[in-house]
Amino acid sequence: MDAVWSKNLQSFAVSDVLTGLEKQRDIAYTTVMTVVSRLYTKGLLSRERDGKRYLYSPKLTREQFLEATAREVLDGAVSDQRAMAMLAEKVSVASANDLDDLEALIRRRRQELER
Amino acid sequence: MNEAIFPLLGTAFVMLVVLPACALVAKLMLATLERDALSGPFHGLGLRYLLLTGSTVLPLAWFLSAGMHQAESGQSMLACLFDHETTARCFEPGLFVLTMLAVMLALGVQRLRRLFAGNIPRPLALADEDEVLRARLEQIIAAHPGLQLLRVRVTTAPEFSIATSGLLRPVVLVGTAFASRVPNDVLASALGHEREHVRSLDPLRYLLLELALALNPFGRALLQPHVARWYGAREAHCDRTAVVGGCAALPLAEAIVQAARPTSPHVPALGAHDAKLLELRVKLLFAFAERCPARCCRHESSAVPVAFLLLLLTLLLPHQTSTAALDALHTGSEHALAHFWR
Repeated sequence: MDAVWSKNLQSFAVSDVLTGLEKQRDIAYTTVMTVVSRLYTKGLLSRERDGKRYLYSPKLTREQFLEATAREVLDGAVSDQRAMAMLAEKVSVASANDLDDLEALIRRRRQELER
Repeated sequence: MNEAIFPLLGTAFVMLVVLPACALVAKLMLATLERDALSGPFHGLGLRYLLLTGSTVLPLAWFLSAGMHQAESGQSMLACLFDHETTARCFEPGLFVLTMLAVMLALGVQRLRRLFAGNIPRPLALADEDEVLRARLEQIIAAHPGLQLLRVRVTTAPEFSIATSGLLRPVVLVGTAFASRVPNDVLASALGHEREHVRSLDPLRYLLLELALALNPFGRALLQPHVARWYGAREAHCDRTAVVGGCAALPLAEAIVQAARPTSPHVPALGAHDAKLLELRVKLLFAFAERCPARCCRHESSAVPVAFLLLLLTLLLPHQTSTAALDALHTGSEHALAHFWR
């Protein structure tokens, strides 16, 4: 879904996703086809026949998807507030690795958008 | 002994039965709102805030006001306020009000002390801080029209990143360590996020919410998951408003991650859940970078004025209508005492 959303693909075939992903890593057509089919089965994509192939469309935007899945994540929000509004609470040292991953992800996304 | 029974039993009934019952009703309504597929956990923040605070504050306000009204011999509101010659006071409702106020004060002061105990760093005026940072902040603020009304102060407090502090005239506090490790676009986006906290008087809002939870003995136990969701959604709402207001989404994502980064192993650990919340906010900002979000929750910033209006109406209600519920509580207490002594 990330590949679909970040490339803003509205109506796409499996080969369109494969083209985008092949730039990042080696990946087989059948693998992409399996994942796309599973996403369709889970209701995240809709599809219509176009000759011998299917054209898929995302049913939700990234924002709508995140909002729909946010409830459980929001349960973990700050439990003991202060008398001020902070941009973000400090996380534990153990979670610093998660922050490294997020930072790398942001850097990559910024580079993609700058291209 | 007889005169003390209504104030004591009445207060116990309000605190241990009425408030938990109201919190339970609020919980049911909040659960319905949060499960609404159309709105979801990021929407209806104003209404959810009113339910979280109002479920405690409004019943308390009604009982206090009704008690005061009865203590003033049932005169109309204007007479209560201005007729100083009304001296015939009903003793027991007055004592009930005093007992309620004492309990509220005890619970509230305890919470206030915890909230303010060393949490808010002392800001330095910009002029007292080093010239480079001062010039940098002024340059950032001047370059972004939306930030120009912000009052910004810096603090050298360790472990501090950026936050909004101050109840009626909030200021944005920027930690020098945080400011020194992020570039200008990241700092500008962080200030854009704080601008929404300032505009909505969030420190005041958070304080009222925490006080409401403290005054309800079962408030935190019943409402905590909804409060946590509201806080998380509120931060995500400020991210969205910052982007709608012209801040860049990805630098804001970077600011969030930098602000959350522990700078010392002695930082109190808040657990992996908070990292998950950060991840959600970052991914939402990715979505906002791809497609500028629509403005959301237009009435959200009116939550505080609406809350005060409702409070005022609740305070006026017993003076203009009836205080039958308090009478029932009064006679119920007397009957309970009679039953006990029989």
